[in-house]
Amino acid sequence: MSTLNLMLVDDEERFLSTTAKLLQRKGHQVTTATSGQEALEKLATQDVEVVILDVKMPGMDGLTVLHEIRVRFPLIGVIMLTGHGTIESAVQGMKSGAFDFITKPCDIDELLAKAEEAASRRRDLEDRIRKARLMTAIRSPRELVREADGKERK
Amino acid sequence: MIDHEPQPQPTSGAYESLRRRILASMILAPALPFAVVLLVGTVNFNLAIREATVSRMVRIAEDHRNAVQAFLDERHADLEFVAHLWTFEGLRRERTLADVLADLRRQAPAFVDLGVFDADGVLVAYEGPYDLTGKVYSDAEWFRRVVERGTFVSDVFLGYRNSPHFVIAIARGEGAGRWVLRATIDPQLFTQMVESVHTGRTGEAYVLNREGVFQTARRSGGTLLEVAPERVGLDQASRAVATTVARDAGGERFVWATAWLNDDQWLLVVRQEVGDAFWPVRRATYLGIVILVIGGSAIVLLAVSMTDGLIRRLQRLDEEKRRLNQQLIVAGRLAEIGEMSAGFAHEINNPLQIIRSEHALIAAILDDLFARGDLTRSDDTAELLDSVRQIRTQVDRCAAVTQGILKFARQTEPTPRELALSEFIPEVAAMVASKAAVSGIALDIAAPADLPPVVADRAQLQQVVLNLVNNAFDAVEQRHGTVGGRVGITAVKNGDRIEIAVQDNGTGISANDLEKVFTPFFSTKPVGKGTGLGLSICFGIVDSMGGSIRVASEERVGTTFTVSLPAAVSQEDERRKTP
Repeated sequence: MSTLNLMLVDDEERFLSTTAKLLQRKGHQVTTATSGQEALEKLATQDVEVVILDVKMPGMDGLTVLHEIRVRFPLIGVIMLTGHGTIESAVQGMKSGAFDFITKPCDIDELLAKAEEAASRRRDLEDRIRKARLMTAIRSPRELVREADGKERK
Repeated sequence: MIDHEPQPQPTSGAYESLRRRILASMILAPALPFAVVLLVGTVNFNLAIREATVSRMVRIAEDHRNAVQAFLDERHADLEFVAHLWTFEGLRRERTLADVLADLRRQAPAFVDLGVFDADGVLVAYEGPYDLTGKVYSDAEWFRRVVERGTFVSDVFLGYRNSPHFVIAIARGEGAGRWVLRATIDPQLFTQMVESVHTGRTGEAYVLNREGVFQTARRSGGTLLEVAPERVGLDQASRAVATTVARDAGGERFVWATAWLNDDQWLLVVRQEVGDAFWPVRRATYLGIVILVIGGSAIVLLAVSMTDGLIRRLQRLDEEKRRLNQQLIVAGRLAEIGEMSAGFAHEINNPLQIIRSEHALIAAILDDLFARGDLTRSDDTAELLDSVRQIRTQVDRCAAVTQGILKFARQTEPTPRELALSEFIPEVAAMVASKAAVSGIALDIAAPADLPPVVADRAQLQQVVLNLVNNAFDAVEQRHGTVGGRVGITAVKNGDRIEIAVQDNGTGISANDLEKVFTPFFSTKPVGKGTGLGLSICFGIVDSMGGSIRVASEERVGTTFTVSLPAAVSQEDERRKTP
């Protein structure tokens, strides 16, 4: 099991602190945020692979935060944390690009398993992007010309 | 299974007063014009008939007066003719007088005798049944009058012969040569002629003199020379026929028509009992009453039946409206409960999440402590670990409850799908199998695999069938305890409908309660045991599926609820319908 860079976003501080301690004990990097705003601020400065995001929060709600993350940090995996009653919003979240959802109250192992999946997919994605960039760098000049033509035509 | 609190019929009084008002207007509206038309018609008809009757009496009286007068005039003319043909001397011969009388009687049988008088009133010649020759009449009223006026018709009197009769006499010659020819008229024959009027049952005619003495006999009582007990018409001045309605001496009401004749000496009376004369009036009135009764009852019957129909329809509509309202209230209440419990469960879930995290942390820390050897295993640590596990167990239990609430509260639109009952019914049966086993109830399931599917929301249909089955369980347990209960869940095809029947051998429902089982909040269960909503919700659900639900029950035998749903039109059928 590799070390994960996680961020927990929930308005319950005690949940954040306890879960953070638990995850840290298991050897992971954990950042916490008690609101969507704080989460977005911290994401701008810190390296986070997976965000575990509560759907229902005062102020900026989970779905809005999710949108912001997808726009500003498209590579970060997001796992929605939801009460059963808000399962519809969780589904909506997945449609808007969340990696998965967990219903409250959740088991720490389940949470961790999903976080790992998300992280590995993110790494996978990053790998592919790197490879793609490499391909672009060694493309033939003809292709570059064609691409430029295409842009002009638009 | 169902509550007895009788649903109060809060509107039955209102219906009754509404019924009365509608009935009143429905009767009055046609009855008033009907009665007015009938009344005006009858009154006018009566007046017309009365008028016609009176004018008929007038005509009869007039005709009769003329006939009687003509009779007198003719007899008078007969005498004039004789006097013209013969001389005083000629007539004095007995033989001649006999021939003349015979001639006259051929003409008019009413002639009784014939007499010739000289100027002194001595009867010088006589032909007739009495022996009167030589009698002196100079003092007789009629003689003085005829000598004075030349012609005279007497009232009926007795005279020498002491038998009622009247005379017609004419005088001829002047001074000492004056002579008189006199004929006696048979009052019986005259009476017969006058009497010849027969109208109705009581119509009759007779003649009175100026003093009201009968000159002809009266059929209804009154003999010659008697004074008539009524004086109707005697004081009338006009020569025309007069009519009046008055009581006779016996108190009977009569229509009287009276007219003078014989130089205003005699009064012809034609009379008829009012009841008899106006019989057509009475008949018309009876007819009017009969029409009134028949027409009136027809109006009343029609009004009653129409009003009853109207009220029944109104009641049905009101009932439907009330049911819809109830359903709306129920739906609204359920939605409210759903929203509330969803919020409640969500709020509980957050602390549960924290407790779970705390538990995980404690467990992790304990594991570390044991691993590092900071804690040695003992009875105390074993108890501690058990306690920690217990926290986890109880949190899981709470989580199960909140998730249950959230599942119940989830408000989803019904999603109708084709359901195969051969799968659906065993599924439902499986849900209640353990309960049935505990209560010792035998479950009979029958759902043939070749049944066409129905289109329904699975959860909703499940709710309906479960509700019916649970009710059946209650009824069976109440009657049989834990031995002998039997509940059947069957599905059969009936025409183009599929019928799901839930049958039990439980307590049954009384006929009185049977009508009310689908009414919201009707329940026979003890307070707090049932909301009385189950069957009404079932009803609403089945109704929204385009189906119907009915119930048949017999007390101490059992109850069958049948849900009838339209069979799904398979795609093949659909294609066949719309080629």
